[in-house]
Amino acid sequence: MSRQLKFNIFRYNPQDPNSVPHTDSFWLDETPSLTLFIALNRLREEQDSSLNFDFACRMAICGSCGMVINGRPGLACRTLTSDLPGEITLMPLPVFKLVGDLAVDTGTWFRATNEKIESWIHTDQEFDPEALEERMENDLANSIFELERCIECGCCVASCGTANMRADFVGAFALNRVARFVMDPRDKRSDADYFEVVGTDQGIFGCMGLLACEDVCPRKIPLQDQLGILRRKMGFIGLKNLFRRKV
Amino acid sequence: MAYETFYSDLVCIGAGLAGERVAIEAAAAGFKTILLSLVPPRRSHSCAAEGGMQAALGNCAMGEGDSPDVHFADTVKGSDWGCDQEVARIFADTAPIAVREASHWGMPWNRVEAGKSMCFKGGVCFEVEDKAEKHGLITARAFGGTAKWRTCYTADGTGHTLLYTLDNKVTQLGITVHDRIEAVSLIHDGDRCVGCVARCLKTGKLRVYLSKATLIATGGYGKLYSETTNTVINEGGGHIVALDTGLVPFGNPEAVQFHPTGIVPTNILVTEGCRGDGGTLLDVNQERFMHIYEPEKAELASRDVVSRWMMHHIREGHGVPSPYGPHLWLDIRHLGEKHITTRLREVYDTCIHFLGVDPITQLIPVRPCHHYSMGGVRTNKDGYAYGLEGLFSAGESCCWDMHGFNRLGGNSLAETIVAGRHIGRAVADYLKGAETTLRTDLARQAVARDEERIKRIVSGADGKENVYDVRNAMQKEMMDNVGIFRNGTDLQKAVDNLRELLVRSKKVGLRSSGVGSSPELAMAIKISGMVRMAICVAYGALMRTESRGAHAREDYTARNDRDWLTRTLAYWRNPDADLPTLEYEPASPVFHLPPGDRGYGKCEIICREEMNE
Amino acid sequence: MTTIDTAIYVKPPSRVSAYLDWLQMLTGAGLIAFMWSHMILVASVNLGVKVMNAIAWFFEATYMAQVGGPLIGATMLLHFVLAARKIPFTTSEQGAIWRHAKMLHHTDTWLWVIQAVTAMIILIMGSVHMWTVLTDLPITAQKSAARIQGGFWMVFYLILLPMIELHVGIGFYRIAVKWGFIRRAERKPFKRFENILTAVMILIGLITIIRFATLAI
Ligand SMILES: Cc1cc2nc3c(=O)[nH]c(=O)nc-3n(C[C@H](O)[C@H](O)[C@H](O)COP(=O)(O)OP(=O)(O)OC[C@H]3O[C@@H](n4cnc5c(N)ncnc54)[C@H](O)[C@@H]3O)c2cc1C
Ligand code: HEM
Ligand code: HEM
Ligand code: SF4
Ligand code: F3S
Ligand code: FES
Repeated sequence: MSRQLKFNIFRYNPQDPNSVPHTDSFWLDETPSLTLFIALNRLREEQDSSLNFDFACRMAICGSCGMVINGRPGLACRTLTSDLPGEITLMPLPVFKLVGDLAVDTGTWFRATNEKIESWIHTDQEFDPEALEERMENDLANSIFELERCIECGCCVASCGTANMRADFVGAFALNRVARFVMDPRDKRSDADYFEVVGTDQGIFGCMGLLACEDVCPRKIPLQDQLGILRRKMGFIGLKNLFRRKV
Repeated sequence: MAYETFYSDLVCIGAGLAGERVAIEAAAAGFKTILLSLVPPRRSHSCAAEGGMQAALGNCAMGEGDSPDVHFADTVKGSDWGCDQEVARIFADTAPIAVREASHWGMPWNRVEAGKSMCFKGGVCFEVEDKAEKHGLITARAFGGTAKWRTCYTADGTGHTLLYTLDNKVTQLGITVHDRIEAVSLIHDGDRCVGCVARCLKTGKLRVYLSKATLIATGGYGKLYSETTNTVINEGGGHIVALDTGLVPFGNPEAVQFHPTGIVPTNILVTEGCRGDGGTLLDVNQERFMHIYEPEKAELASRDVVSRWMMHHIREGHGVPSPYGPHLWLDIRHLGEKHITTRLREVYDTCIHFLGVDPITQLIPVRPCHHYSMGGVRTNKDGYAYGLEGLFSAGESCCWDMHGFNRLGGNSLAETIVAGRHIGRAVADYLKGAETTLRTDLARQAVARDEERIKRIVSGADGKENVYDVRNAMQKEMMDNVGIFRNGTDLQKAVDNLRELLVRSKKVGLRSSGVGSSPELAMAIKISGMVRMAICVAYGALMRTESRGAHAREDYTARNDRDWLTRTLAYWRNPDADLPTLEYEPASPVFHLPPGDRGYGKCEIICREEMNE
Repeated sequence: MTTIDTAIYVKPPSRVSAYLDWLQMLTGAGLIAFMWSHMILVASVNLGVKVMNAIAWFFEATYMAQVGGPLIGATMLLHFVLAARKIPFTTSEQGAIWRHAKMLHHTDTWLWVIQAVTAMIILIMGSVHMWTVLTDLPITAQKSAARIQGGFWMVFYLILLPMIELHVGIGFYRIAVKWGFIRRAERKPFKRFENILTAVMILIGLITIIRFATLAI
């Protein structure tokens, strides 16, 4: 069973004036249940201690370890080498700013985008510690959770041709997030408010339906469906205004 | 020596649930707040919590009659009377409010659905009926060690959704977040803490945060152990900077909890909810065994009890042999495909992706591994750290001490936002009165010290020890000799070996250039701090000659309320020492619930005289 | 830091993007409808020269060709202008999408690249073709056959045909997924359907060309 795995890893340290982007190759004996998390840590500890990459939870829930694995953005921690060929090429996620080697700065990007789409519940209601919580149907709670499962790994953004071409496109992640708030009765934003946020070419109308986002999302968020629903909804809001002719 | 300086009223080291909840409270009160984190806040360890958080709402049928009083009692019993009962009281009373508040902020808690439904407990199926008047309120599930169903949840992504909800709030309030920043030392003058020195993990540069109040909310220190459910960033960074001051004690370092169901080999936790929903534990013969040891609660006994019986059963030779050592089986097959792929979806995904096991038809290999750190930066009940004014702590990193020697499942997520709310207010109150001059001279000295330290590591001036070798040796030592079962001989061995490792840790030199974000350098900076923490844990455990909660001594099997109804305070006063100074204080200022039998686990108690009628 | 209440300066949300997206989709859908009708018209020659001539005569007698032709031309131009918003014209954008497509082994992304490339070809060849046909009315099978047997137009159509069918097929698929007519579960079967449709269309087109090429003038 034991294969010799060959890793081709993108290397560049932007802080180091002597560093130029290149690819390094490493070899490693495959062991049972070997994930890229274990493999990369072994490489760093045993072969090259300058190797830079990100992991935190190592259980596919924190979204730290997105990278391009043999051409596909995905979570390294939950990629078993047994599912890959003997030669494995690892690249950092595009779109995001490079920190070093395979590590990219997703934090800044996501915070900025979340600010742009105002990713929070908008309500005037004050919290009353004495009162019972507002009721909600359990099915609705589950539907919200279904979209809230996004872990902001950035794979959808990195895999999206539009996002790669245009820096101002908010990406499938953000459109899904907006869809989540549209669904939530606690958020009092009106259709027009949402339209303002995503009814643009930086938002839903910028999406060209490439669907790489749908295909790479490690959480299997129903991006295709949400994007479709959102496009129709925003499309109709746009039309309604055409006929009513008011602000 | 050029470095950037950031000024604020409050700097929170750590942006998990606890750090963010405190920040929200302070920012809402109008104070300039900065959150620091090793990773973007949403990637903090809190996101990994699946099961849920406890709050006595009493909405679901199986939670009827619940109240903060019952929750309080469960918490105290769970702690094996090691907790501060005033804190446990604050906690139980505030938890329902904190849960509802999270709901107000957008948390998609699962809700009560009126009508009959089927439940499992211990593999047995039974029917419950939820009342129409409760329909749509926040529901709860069963968790180990609780009298009622009290654990509020969002499917199996409770920590994730809660953290996103809070971070949304942080974004809304416009609170400054600096991620990929690692605090490396506190700035203080011996009385008062005025911020911290931190290293930027994007550029490798040092920077200074000067603040009137400083909060440590850096989570647990699981990475002292090799087998842990904790994320790889849980390295005790906050504890190290506090311990390094020599003034702030590490409370109850030996109180470390193990979780019964980490999958083999990756130690990814499968939630206690599996057992709560009716999953069972099987041995090599695929037979249940927990009911033999715990006839009443069986698989649902508190997690230290379950962990211990599992290890016991494995030691008795009933483990399933595997290349990674013996393990046991977790069986959730009877819950059915629908249940597993909806309510336990995370578990399902974990098994498929990390094990290649389909839990609908196959058994899951599990064994206990390190899970939670009850100990931490010692504070009073309002989060004020002992020893330094202006320093606070909250969350898992803090020992305000509501968990004592064993934390109940679901109590720590609740702790983060309850403590965050409570301590956040205390911080805001403190800031209102604070008249601190932000001393740049102290900052300069502190940076110079850290810069010198880093220079020596990079150049290998003190030696060429490989940092990873030292770390791995430490983790192995902790796993082997400071684990679930403890005894004097092993603990002594651990302390001795760790002292040797401490010497080695001070001789670490880099093999890479250390330029830029350099993960090797990051590890090298904290390694000797980690070893010091490990020594605190091992030494605290060695000295505590009793068994209490998760601290189980084979040579002192009884809980000794006569001599050990105390909390350990470990100080590292002399930086050149290789052992901490241990002091002790009473476990609780008051005993609303006098020490007694937990009602589960084996019960051997040496009573306090005055209670020994 | 001075804070300015930007709320008062904020323009009401612009609806332009929404209209343009609708128009892009509708012109696309209109052109699809046209291309399929066009295929029936031209392919009718396979049923007999008389059939095609009759249909062509009908369109001209009703002035649908004279009016419809330029209208189609205008629609195509409009569609082009709309779609051009999405086409990478700068070299940096082109570089980005090209590198990206090469890195990502993903068919739907490649389909889009094909769509953008075919679009440019169609723009030129389609216009030339329309000019040729519409300035030489009436349409008869004999004239078409003569053109194709000339050789140049044969090659011309052999290029244009797959271009247009690919563009139309992909466009059809993309409208369906972008606007949510096709849901996640139906995507795979729908894509297969679309591929088959494209192949069938190209096949009919080829047969038609062969028919023209072999038609006795
Ligand atoms: C797998 C798993 C499942 C769990 N499930 C449950 C459950 O179901 N119910 C429950 O109640 N509890 C559960 N817990 C426990 C619970 O998740 C944690 O106790 C809780 O989330 C801790 O939150 P925190 O905010 O204190 O710390 P964390 O969320 O760990 O946050 C720590 C923060 O500190 C930062 N940090 C650390 N060091 C530094 C430094 N040196 N400088 C700057 N920043 C630093 C980190 O970046 C991070 O932002 C679970 C734990 C695990 C491991
Ligand atoms: C008769 C000819 C044509 C037909 C039938 C046609 C049809 C279509 C259709 C149905 C779509 C999908 C629309 C959508 O996704 O909203 C589309 C998209 C597109 N068309 Fe055309 N088209 C034609 C000519 C052209 C021309 C001449 C150009 C430009 C030079 C062009 C460029 C594009 C581009 C770039 C897209 C992709 C737009 C996007 O992804 O958002 N097309 N076309
Ligand atoms: C109203 C406008 C149009 C008219 C009247 C028209 C008419 C015709 C006619 C008569 C033919 C037969 C061949 C010939 O006579 O040369 C033909 C073939 C063809 N046309 Fe058009 N056409 C029109 C628009 C278009 C457009 C816009 C396109 C694509 C961009 C197009 C693509 C083709 C192709 C690919 C063929 C070859 C058909 C085959 O192989 O079956 N046409 N057209
Ligand atoms: S939508 Fe999916 S791919 Fe995109 S960030 Fe979220 S989890 Fe990652
Ligand atoms: S890949 Fe990009 S273009 Fe749209 S469908 Fe997904 S966001
Ligand atoms: S390390 Fe958290 S998702 Fe991979």
